[in-house]
Amino acid sequence: MKVELSRRKFLQGSVALSIFGASAVSTVPTLLAKEKKQHLSKQTIATLCEMCVNRCAAFATVDNGIVKKLDPNPLFPKSKNMLCARGDAGIHALYDPDRLKYPMIRIGEKGSGEFKRVTWDEAYEAILNGTDKFKGFKQILHEEKNNRSTIAYCAGEGMGEHTYKDFMGGLFGSTNFVNHASICLQTTISGYALTIGGYGKADLENARYVIMAGANRAEAILTPDTMDMFKRTRGRGLKLIVLDPRFTNTAQHADKWLGIKVGTDLAFVLALTHVVIHEVLYNKEFAAKNINGFEKYKEHILSHNYTPAWASKITGIDANDIFTIARDFMANAPRAIYYQGRRTAWSKQDFQLRRAQAIFTALGGGIDIKGGIIFGKKLELDAHIVEVPLYSGNKPRIDKNEASYVGPNGTWIGFRNLIAEKKTPYPVRGMFVYKHNPMQSVPNITKTRKMFENLELVVTIDTMPSDTVMMSDVILPECNYLEREDPVKSFAGIEPAIVLRNKVIEPMYETRAVFDILKGLAKKVSEPLFDITLEYDADLRAEVAERGREDVYEEDMFNLNLAYEHTQEEINKERVVETYGEEAYHTLKEKGVFYPHMDTYFKKINMNEYQYYPEDKKYYSRPSKEKTEALDSCVDEKAMASLKKNLSTGSGKVECCLPNLALKGVDTMPQWREELYFEVQKGKFKFVTGRHAQQTQNATSNNIMLLDVMRENYLWINKEQAELKGISHGDWVEVKSSIGAVRIKAYPTIKIIKDVVFYVHGFGSESTGLTFGYRNGASDNMIIEDHVETVFGSAAMHETVVEVTKV
Amino acid sequence: MNFAMSLDYQSCIDCKACEVACKEENGVQLGADKQRIWVSQVETSIFGQPFISLHPSQCNHCLDAPCVDVCPTGASYFALGGLVMTDKDTCILCKGCMEACPYDARFVDDTHVAVDKCSFCYETRLVHGEMTTACQATCPTKVRLLGDIDDEESDLVQLLKKRKFYVLKEEEKTVPKLFYLLPEHDDYFAMNSVSPDTNIYTWDEYKPIIEAAKAKRKPQWKTVIL
Repeated sequence: MKVELSRRKFLQGSVALSIFGASAVSTVPTLLAKEKKQHLSKQTIATLCEMCVNRCAAFATVDNGIVKKLDPNPLFPKSKNMLCARGDAGIHALYDPDRLKYPMIRIGEKGSGEFKRVTWDEAYEAILNGTDKFKGFKQILHEEKNNRSTIAYCAGEGMGEHTYKDFMGGLFGSTNFVNHASICLQTTISGYALTIGGYGKADLENARYVIMAGANRAEAILTPDTMDMFKRTRGRGLKLIVLDPRFTNTAQHADKWLGIKVGTDLAFVLALTHVVIHEVLYNKEFAAKNINGFEKYKEHILSHNYTPAWASKITGIDANDIFTIARDFMANAPRAIYYQGRRTAWSKQDFQLRRAQAIFTALGGGIDIKGGIIFGKKLELDAHIVEVPLYSGNKPRIDKNEASYVGPNGTWIGFRNLIAEKKTPYPVRGMFVYKHNPMQSVPNITKTRKMFENLELVVTIDTMPSDTVMMSDVILPECNYLEREDPVKSFAGIEPAIVLRNKVIEPMYETRAVFDILKGLAKKVSEPLFDITLEYDADLRAEVAERGREDVYEEDMFNLNLAYEHTQEEINKERVVETYGEEAYHTLKEKGVFYPHMDTYFKKINMNEYQYYPEDKKYYSRPSKEKTEALDSCVDEKAMASLKKNLSTGSGKVECCLPNLALKGVDTMPQWREELYFEVQKGKFKFVTGRHAQQTQNATSNNIMLLDVMRENYLWINKEQAELKGISHGDWVEVKSSIGAVRIKAYPTIKIIKDVVFYVHGFGSESTGLTFGYRNGASDNMIIEDHVETVFGSAAMHETVVEVTKV
Repeated sequence: MNFAMSLDYQSCIDCKACEVACKEENGVQLGADKQRIWVSQVETSIFGQPFISLHPSQCNHCLDAPCVDVCPTGASYFALGGLVMTDKDTCILCKGCMEACPYDARFVDDTHVAVDKCSFCYETRLVHGEMTTACQATCPTKVRLLGDIDDEESDLVQLLKKRKFYVLKEEEKTVPKLFYLLPEHDDYFAMNSVSPDTNIYTWDEYKPIIEAAKAKRKPQWKTVIL
């Protein structure tokens, strides 16, 4: 009886707590399950989705500590009151039984999948001192004379990426970072930034004419683009032209679908430009005022004779269609956009293609204007600065000569091949991997496996046992996005806002947020790493002799723990309160979204739609003070700024010609390079890959809810060509390239042009840790050859030729 | 109160957010054949060009529903608010309702050993005062709109007064309440996504049909069994 009473008191206390701390869900002993139900009511907590890169605002309904439902949070202008299939299925990522639950270290051969459960301290200990199976920091750094760059690090997209980079690049001091940019949108970000000053955002809520080439906003959902455009297609204000070898769900909505040959988009854009210049359809006022080098570009396009007739032979598109599209585009300009695209690692000519698209859009004047490509505004947030020590023995990144311009995001293929082929300028012996699965996401898996085999210390921070996790020595389990508060984030756009991912429930098992994982690691390695630095840095030893060890350690930031004196929650609070006050922070905790005047601007229009900003308060044009690219991307902003400076694009105008590119042997103006293009041999196919709306890359391959709506991937093959090969729906076929072969079921369809085959990315995992993902469907990177475009070293994923055989 | 739904199907992109939201909200059994809602796809070719139309669908909550009449135990019943509901406790899995439904909206829920189907999220949302279904709320392009067709001022009736619409399998005389909005500005898409013998209605034309069916069946409307 006594016990009963004290339990009740305890419960009452915990209820009171949960009212003040919006995210607090008490961990009541399971014995109290029945009583708990009566006392703890349902809670709704504002969070932010992380099932893909969009960051849609969501409300999580928590019932007795269990997340029961995720619903769209209508307050966020970017995600506009929606959650996609993946967002809805976030619960099944949280409660996936295959999740990484506790730290592990490798006890079997590398890649064998044999691990031992250890405590966090033992895991950190293994990273510092190694085990009998692998080497640790101490030994490696001694052998490399404290060249911190010997430990490389990579990351996928995520809100913790900066936290991780601050540790690895700043506090630890490695220069060898690679992220997903070079297998994603490096070429298009660079192409647009160097041509019109920024990648920008297509204003699809107001554009009247959009050419969408290769991009597939119906299946590769991007907010708010997807929601904005498909409410306006089919005669409702947005005329849509889709170029794609596949008749995608986006093409279904198009006023015209053109099945363009793979790798020929540049010829198409040059021909559009030719029509516009030849017929003088461009916006003369805008060109005179805002386009640099236009006379030279005109001359270049006309003298190369990039006519529709010429492009027709290359692209397979009727010359009349090219004429019509060029004229219609300009008739609708400036509310006309050649859509930038996202994952643009396609062909070897990709950078020039993006330049040509940007210039073509500019010819209509659709830059920094309603209905065109806009730059928008970003709400300022106080920066969180981590002070870092200075290391003297660090060597520059290994892949700096692997392409004309290699920035701090690196070139994945170049980087990987150097390690796999043991051609690095100095030994790279370890790698940290955060929320990234290069084993499945970088073309040519065999080589990526070789790279991991050549590394002596591989540490992965992840939530699921991916193929990459299986190649690691130490596994540090991160908690799911619903179990942590992440750095507060400002999203730029026409309707800018600040969002906060609140913690919905406490981390399950022994998982931790990446912030806390690194905090723990810092504590373990800070002193020993300082000792190593002292041993190899005579100047530092002199400093110590003069100022004393303790002072140098603390004042020069060698004490890595200093970066973790405040919690993530405290840092967020400070950053928000500094600029917007307590009330704004309170709004973020409660509603997840904040922007100035939200209480008056935000209005419900009807059951489905909301107003975020009144029309006259939207940022269709860049406020004059804003100089840098406001919109976020995976390409390092500072690096882009310095590249712009090197290429003298400081005029603030559209740059047709970039003479400094010639210094690196890159064309100064977009030019069709016949030698970089090939026609596929008879009987063979070009392979293309892509995305769809039910899986996010390879990150959701084990999510049973998503597998319920998309069970496996199929090979799209032109129906006529399939019939000639005797292939029917569901038949097993072998798809073989020069580097590998897969088996997959066939989907003969009229929705793909001849001589091209396709299957969607994200399937065919080889990790035995994934009950449902293991060997389900086929992996594209098993067969995609590791071609790169040479300007930025991005993967050229659509340059692979395959043979298809019925098996 | 008479719940109904419009579907602006021309905006559908087949992202399947609705299907997943439905399964998560209502705890629908997993499995491709266990669907309360779905997106059916018509794929053809017109002069060599592919043509696809997408029709998101679910239980029509017919005012004159045959699935109710065939049920021997009363497990399939009309509920207040013009809903067609199923009571899992009294269902004996004779599957008569599954045969009777012209829309194939019902399936066997093995976890409850009973027939299951769309309830317009009554148990999970409407009963708590929400006026959207999970499928409507989650949709990126906002295809669906749930509303009360007894209320002339509701968003739904206001919309139906502006847009022409059609219903599925009208010839079955079930008086369904899923209103498919006719695409207004794209004749090619409208012509090819609606079969030529489908009747196109305005609200004023369809309202009497609804009222007649409601008058006939309203006496059978019961309190929802939760």
